Amino acid sequence: MLSVTPDILTDLPWGQLLVNGLALGSLYALTAFGIVLIFKTTRVITFAQGETAMFSTFVAFTLLTAFQLPFAVAFVLTMLFAGVFGALIERVVIRRISTTTVLNPVIVTVGLSLILLGAAGWIWGYEIRTFPDPVVGPPFHLGTVVVSQLNALIFLVTLVLMTVLFAFFRFSPTGIAMRAVAENRMAAQLMGVSIGRMNALGWGMGTAMGAVTGMLIAPINYLDPSMMGDVALKAFAAAVVGGLTSLPGAVVGGLLLGIVDSVVGFEVPELRNTIAFALIVLVLVVRPGGLLGRHETKKV
Amino acid sequence: MHWLRTRGRATAPYGLGLIAVLLIPALLNVIPGIAPGYVLYLVSLALIYAIVAIGLGILIGHTGQISLGHAGFFAIGAYASALLTLRLGLPFVVAVLVAGSVSAAIGFLLGLPALRLSGPYLAVATLGFGLAIPQLVVWQSSWTGGSSGLHGLPLASLPLGAFTIVFRTDQDYYYLAAAVLIVLTIFARNVVTSHTGRAFVAIRDSEIAARAMGVDLVRYKTTAFALSALYAGIAGALYAHLLHGISPEDFTVLLSVDFLTMIVLGGLGSIGGALSGALLLTFLQNALTRLPVVHDFKNLYIVVLGVILILTIVFFPQGLAGIARSWRLRRATRTLDRPAGAGQIVELGERSGVR
Amino acid sequence: MTGPVLEITDLTIRFGGLVAVDGLDLRVNAGEIVGLIGPNGAGKTTVFNCISRFYQPDRGTVHFKGRDITRSGSHEIIRFGIARTFQNVELCRSMTALGNLLVGQHVAMRSGVIRDGLRLPGVGADEARATQRADEMLELLGLTGDRDHVVSTLPFGLQKLVELGRALVSDPALLLLDEPTAGADKQEIQGLADLIRRMRDRFDLSVLVVEHDMSFVMGLCDRLYVLDFGRRIAEGAPADVRNDSAVIEAYLGEPELEVTEV
Repeated sequence: MLSVTPDILTDLPWGQLLVNGLALGSLYALTAFGIVLIFKTTRVITFAQGETAMFSTFVAFTLLTAFQLPFAVAFVLTMLFAGVFGALIERVVIRRISTTTVLNPVIVTVGLSLILLGAAGWIWGYEIRTFPDPVVGPPFHLGTVVVSQLNALIFLVTLVLMTVLFAFFRFSPTGIAMRAVAENRMAAQLMGVSIGRMNALGWGMGTAMGAVTGMLIAPINYLDPSMMGDVALKAFAAAVVGGLTSLPGAVVGGLLLGIVDSVVGFEVPELRNTIAFALIVLVLVVRPGGLLGRHETKKV
Repeated sequence: MHWLRTRGRATAPYGLGLIAVLLIPALLNVIPGIAPGYVLYLVSLALIYAIVAIGLGILIGHTGQISLGHAGFFAIGAYASALLTLRLGLPFVVAVLVAGSVSAAIGFLLGLPALRLSGPYLAVATLGFGLAIPQLVVWQSSWTGGSSGLHGLPLASLPLGAFTIVFRTDQDYYYLAAAVLIVLTIFARNVVTSHTGRAFVAIRDSEIAARAMGVDLVRYKTTAFALSALYAGIAGALYAHLLHGISPEDFTVLLSVDFLTMIVLGGLGSIGGALSGALLLTFLQNALTRLPVVHDFKNLYIVVLGVILILTIVFFPQGLAGIARSWRLRRATRTLDRPAGAGQIVELGERSGVR
Repeated sequence: MTGPVLEITDLTIRFGGLVAVDGLDLRVNAGEIVGLIGPNGAGKTTVFNCISRFYQPDRGTVHFKGRDITRSGSHEIIRFGIARTFQNVELCRSMTALGNLLVGQHVAMRSGVIRDGLRLPGVGADEARATQRADEMLELLGLTGDRDHVVSTLPFGLQKLVELGRALVSDPALLLLDEPTAGADKQEIQGLADLIRRMRDRFDLSVLVVEHDMSFVMGLCDRLYVLDFGRRIAEGAPADVRNDSAVIEAYLGEPELEVTEV
């Protein structure tokens, strides 16, 4: 039960939970970042983010096992695959639907996730597999806190990706153009930015971010078609808690969710999703735009 | 019998439907080579899903508030009635009514935060709700039976004065499910063709206009949530007693998506659409499990669901109801022997009004 | 009835650092048609949104028939007797013209989901009465032929008319019209002025109208308020306002100042 007494609080291995939570949170943050990126560029909140990530992770698995590629190579190739895959989804499906109601994109991306779920089961089967460890070796010790090699890799990859992405959106012409589209589509179009290309790029990059999460979480959990279900929910919660319109918000939300998840998972593992849901509702009721997002009201 | 009086067009299909409901059991007994009991069980299941679909249709189709978590309300209804009959020994009828009310009350409560959430935010929040309910059931295993569920539910019965009707066979239960569905269909139809229904559609079309015309968003959005939760709750209770047992695994996100697909396929904003979508999808799911060619049915069914969702939105945004409307229109213009004016076509095509 | 129907005192609202409306005093007397004019971005629609409670002013009060409505909900004020139209038309797009006029009578009808669902006695009679009232209004506005057309299929001008009908059918004491001439041609504009006056007389209305078209307001209104950057720069009869030097300066460069008599 949730009766938290000071006794239990002091008994918790806080340092360890924090490190584990931050590692998990980094992964949520990456997927949430993808969701927010797609939402900002195309105004579509994708419910297929978890399943595109799962599908990509299976591709990585095939590259690693059937083709015996080194992890780094498979990692980069899978990110490329996911990028193309995401862009293709945008071109083939998303572009064809009317986004005048928010209902349509929700329904279509739910449909996409079902197809990917079924297809993955068909191609790779439902048995639970173990994903090859990207790094092996003794864990690092920081006092009493243990940081596994994998967690260290997760921190490193997240840090590098985030730095690259923030630089991309800050300095590169393409990144600035994408931001312009997110701010004001009409104005961006008048400035000569191709909305279609930016939409496809947003989907591609967002999907690739999800794939990274998949490849890094599969060695911790397992590999099967439903592997990303819970992760996607947490990433959603992270994106919403941070604010769907804010990329830094996705990162903050992700890390927050990871820590909460790690602590709750230690105390009452049955309630991990429930707490994530309660957190979503709580944050949205207090701040409808999320922690760092803007609340958009329709102009009267 | 005011409540039986429905208004509006196209009551003929409902009359035909009623006759079909009465005749189906007799027909099944005549057709050789099928197990009438199993088919009736399946039809009952479809009718129960149809109750959920109609309620969900009012919420999504008419009021424009999305829910990806209706399996949660379905589960609440199922567990409430199972616990009331098993643990407290309450009569079936009381259990169903209480189950519906509990679900409606929780729907009302979920509607309150929903007031501040729009579109995608609401979708995420309701998705979380649907995921949380089975988790809470597992967590509170001491009285919910945890992941192994609750079994051995008593037979459904209905006290009528000195007599008590007990629904023993599949056929009995089929009539019960059909009767509940018919009453709830008429109720839903009355609501959507009335003052309240117009307020719902006004909210969907333009919240600003609705507010300016005096529609209290708090009241009507929570009403829509509570009403659709009531339907899902009653259906859940019927489901529990149809199967005589339930477990958390019956109420996955996939079931919520099933419900969504039913109303999208049938046509948002159409009660007839919700009905036909529910029937069609339940039979489709069953047919796919029985196809000898397909061994791993779970795969195929969810792929088919996904394909249906996408194709419907891309090519027939008004679903089966929209197709039926344009077909009726084409027939009407043929009998009129003159082409319909453009305005007329648009008008008939958009009557349900869901884009 | 005498005295002000609507009385706005010291209305002030800021968006971020921008003061959209600054200390505005405004009153509408019973039976008056009052115009609220000013260059683009002067804060006219913002004033409307404060009256109809979509925006919360930072300072000041709005009184309607002596009642302080500054804290009322946006859905409450139509019950008090204030109905409005919108600059870009806010109709229930998927409904017919009739349906919209039924929504317009929302507050006049008893409601309740159980009452409606069970069709308790009285529901049918209420519906019939509302439908009759809507039909009368449609006829008055010459919209009978469009009664059963879905409004999103109607031309913009007719949509504006349906919106006007929806506001009128709620039986308001004060009508707020936001740019009624938008999208109309010269001939329609003339007809619109006549129509508004007719409706005022027939339904005992007071009217507050926000407008861009100067010739239209000059011909229609009994009194004018001129806003510029959220401040009231002039008030008075159309003839006086037209010659006001502050007004001419505010409108300098604005093509709308081609004032012609109507």
